[in-house]
Amino acid sequence: MVQAYRKRILGTIARLIGRPEDVEDVGQEVFLRLYYSLDQLRTSEVFEPWLYRLTVNAAYDYLRRQRRRQESRMSDLSEQQVMMADAAAGGKRSAEDQRRTKIRERVESLLGKVSEEDRILLMLKEVEGLSLKELEKIYSVNENALKVRLFRARQRVLKAFEAEGD
Amino acid sequence: MSWMPEEERNAKLDALFSEYRAAVPDLEAGAGFMPGLWQRIEARRAGNLFIFRRLAQVCAGATLALAILMGVYLIPHIEKSPVITSSYVDELAADHPNTYVDILTGDMK
Repeated sequence: MVQAYRKRILGTIARLIGRPEDVEDVGQEVFLRLYYSLDQLRTSEVFEPWLYRLTVNAAYDYLRRQRRRQESRMSDLSEQQVMMADAAAGGKRSAEDQRRTKIRERVESLLGKVSEEDRILLMLKEVEGLSLKELEKIYSVNENALKVRLFRARQRVLKAFEAEGD
Repeated sequence: MSWMPEEERNAKLDALFSEYRAAVPDLEAGAGFMPGLWQRIEARRAGNLFIFRRLAQVCAGATLALAILMGVYLIPHIEKSPVITSSYVDELAADHPNTYVDILTGDMK
C-alpha cells in the first residue's frame, strides 16, 4: 500500500507544505496514521479520499507547527541576515531551478491571499485535480457548500492574479 | 494593472496552476523512508505499551493502598466487636446452672 501510494502522496505533501526537506517526515506521519487507523476503514471504495484526508490533516498539523516555529526563529534573525541567506541560496540554483522557484513562489503568494483551509482546498482541486465528488468525501461536506467555498477562494486568487499582472 | 476578460484570466490562472504542478512534481521517496516509517511505528507501539504498563502499575498501587487503608480502618473495629466463644446450649446452661439438677433430685419447687 505504501509502495503504491507514496510517490503521489509525497508529491501532494510537497505542494501543500512547500518545503521539500520536510516532505518525507510528513509522509511518514501520514502512513503512520494510516497504519494505526486502517481498521476503522469500512469499505475499500473510500480508501483514497480517506488517505487524502489523512494527508491534508498531517499537512495542516505541520503548517501549524511550522508557523509557531517560524515566528520564534524569524524573530531571532535580523532582516539583513534573512536577505543574505536568500541571496546565497539563489546563487547556487540553475536557471531551470530558478524558473521553477519563481512559479512556486508566485503560486504560493497568490494562494497566500486566502485562508490556509481554502488554500489547501484550492490546491487539491486545481493542482491535484481532485473532483468535487472526491473532495466531498475528503471533507465530508455537501457538494454545494464546497462549490461556493471554492468559487469564493478562486475569485480572491483571480483578483490577486489580475492585480499583480503577468 | 491591465484589464483582461474573465475567461482569459481564468485560462491564465489554470495555466499557472499546471505550470506549478509541473514545477513541483511527485517525489520518489528516499532510501530511508521505509526504515524510518517502521521505526516510527515501533516507537508508537512501544509508547502505547509503556502507557498501559504505567496504567497497570498505578492501578496495582492504588489497590494495594486501598487494601492497607481498609485494613487499618477495619481491623480495630473487628477486634472491638463481641466475640462469641460458646454455643447456644452452653449459654443456656450458664444462665440456668442448677435447674436441671434440681428437677432430677426433686428439689424443684
